[in-house]
Amino acid sequence: MHALENGVRAALVGAGQIARQHLACLRELPGVETVAVCDVSAATAQSAAERFSVPSWFTDHRSMLAEVSPDVVHVTTPPHVHYAVALDALDAGAHVVLEKPATETLAELETLLRRAGETGKLLVENQNYLFNRATREIAARIESGEFGAVIHVEVFICLGITAPGNPIADPNLPHATLRLAGGAIADFLTHLASLAHFFVGPHRTAHTIWAKRSPSPLPYDEFRALVDAERGTAVLGFSAATQPDAVWLRVYGERMQAVANLFETRLTFDRVRGGIKAMRPTLSLLEESRALRRAAFGTLWRKLSGGPGTYEGLWDLLARTYRAIEGGTEPPVPPSQVLAVNRLVAALKPDGSRA
Amino acid sequence: MKVLVTGANGFLGRHVVAALLRRGHEVRALVRPTARIECLGWSGVEVLRADLRSPGDLAGAFAGVDTLVHLAAVAIGGEDAQFSAAVVGTERLLEAMARSATRRIVLASSFSVYDWSKVRTELDESSPMVAAPELYQRDGYAIAKVWQERVARCLAERHGWELVVLRPGFIWGRERAYLAGLGQAVGRAHLTISPRTRLPLTHVENCADLFARVVDHPRAACETFNVVDGHDARTWHYLGDYVRGTGAGWLRIPVPYCLARGVVALADRISKLIFRGKGKLPGLLVPSCFEARFKPLRFSSLKIRQALDWQPPFTYAECRQRTYGWSARPCESKVAPAATRAATYVEAQ
Repeated sequence: MHALENGVRAALVGAGQIARQHLACLRELPGVETVAVCDVSAATAQSAAERFSVPSWFTDHRSMLAEVSPDVVHVTTPPHVHYAVALDALDAGAHVVLEKPATETLAELETLLRRAGETGKLLVENQNYLFNRATREIAARIESGEFGAVIHVEVFICLGITAPGNPIADPNLPHATLRLAGGAIADFLTHLASLAHFFVGPHRTAHTIWAKRSPSPLPYDEFRALVDAERGTAVLGFSAATQPDAVWLRVYGERMQAVANLFETRLTFDRVRGGIKAMRPTLSLLEESRALRRAAFGTLWRKLSGGPGTYEGLWDLLARTYRAIEGGTEPPVPPSQVLAVNRLVAALKPDGSRA
Repeated sequence: MKVLVTGANGFLGRHVVAALLRRGHEVRALVRPTARIECLGWSGVEVLRADLRSPGDLAGAFAGVDTLVHLAAVAIGGEDAQFSAAVVGTERLLEAMARSATRRIVLASSFSVYDWSKVRTELDESSPMVAAPELYQRDGYAIAKVWQERVARCLAERHGWELVVLRPGFIWGRERAYLAGLGQAVGRAHLTISPRTRLPLTHVENCADLFARVVDHPRAACETFNVVDGHDARTWHYLGDYVRGTGAGWLRIPVPYCLARGVVALADRISKLIFRGKGKLPGLLVPSCFEARFKPLRFSSLKIRQALDWQPPFTYAECRQRTYGWSARPCESKVAPAATRAATYVEAQ
């Protein structure tokens, strides 16, 4: 791999909601020019092009690949189309940034990774929560030794996807994610699996509970999993009934514990302290209250700043990906990680327990 | 003639169906698969259940249809849900129409397509539409309605269809009388922004009458009309009627337009200063969004009166009676302001 001359030319297929985050980020990245957007809806493609000043738009991704020959293709279509579009993009000689979940099956992902290896191109899956500031700060404390070894991690996503008006539960039009094994919750397994893998390594076994507790078009609306991994254990969960919306991350180490809500900037630590033992809870709570006050204003600031907001991890991941493409270095989500995370995703699916 | 009505069970749609039947037209009502229509008491209406975003559902929808009245839209939910329902839905619907013999479309657009910031005193059909980049600072509903019009105009030109675009102002009626252009409720108080402003009102039954009139009106072909009743209703008095009619229990507090606009300008200036033009304010504090809700303008109804010789069937007093006259029944009198606030310009569904 070598540095590309005259910057990097990016294109995007699938101009829906998450595509706006990709396009907004690409607009900010130095040395990157978005040259085309594609969507099966001409108006959707055209409006995305107009909004982000992209010079061309298409309704057929193969025509786009042939006409503009992009260096990088972002695949932000519904999940069941990822495989076909990503394969075409790799065959056209482009690097691929793939939205989660990468593919519907592990076999498809293995084919894509093999093809990427053969063509010498990158295939990067969006595992955005690994790049949120909170996750990186916890990782930094683990790396410094302050945290001690990580024993256990918990990730719990609370998202009201069955609420009236939510397109995922629209009874009139089955949402694209309902095609996935496990339904709409499967669309979030990459978040759970990537964080579990990041903190406790590749999984050995996974035991899951899939449940449906309220009437909706979703096959399941509650999910729990207990994962045994190489470096520790993980408890993962998704709840459509629990409110307010949140992505709770709790990391338990030998000398420190961390709690973050990745929808906000909330991040608190509790740690083993020297001195008078009885004072530890008081000192910890004072420290936590200071962190919470900072988070309250930080979250508001993040919202008003017009930046990526809760997608800060995606923006950071894309910036790192483009640096890797330009510099010919290791991508932020290497193939081995994409594969290991998706092996856990497969094990977490309703038919994959104890895989 | 036979008319296909999308969004037929919506706020405006149910009245359009009734108005078409009164004029002796045949109606095919297109409603979503899970829509509850039993309460509408339709008789002699052919009902077709389909979602506009599913192309397969629309085969046969246009069989024998002379005119399409396209009202379906979504005024709640996220930007993508609104865009998908209004724009992608329109693309799919008109793709199906292209395979039929139907030649005329009556499209329900909206006042939200105008660039209110560029209008000085009077908003009429010649006022400029909002365009990029300002368009993308507006709310999801405005973006969806602008693109819906663009799609309809493009396909109408390509296929030689007669496109009639009706742009209603604030539609009000028994099911939805609260308007976002009234201000902001804060607890028991209601900040009534620009209290002396004339509202671009059209009562849902007046509006429906015009939709039924243009399906076969020869002078409507390939024209765009703003739809306002032309009654001299001011914000302060309209809200007073609303409070009395629904028992909302708000204390009206007048806020002059220039004061509120000054606060918005200040918030915008501070945001630009701190975040170098990239900041994101709540909708009410975005100048273009604020102006599209509250700017004190005059709203001309001259074109519909002259070209179509149309007068609204009901006066303001009659509309008020039809809207609030039923409030003696307490279970029906609770028009939920919070739930209806976001649905300012709702056409249907």
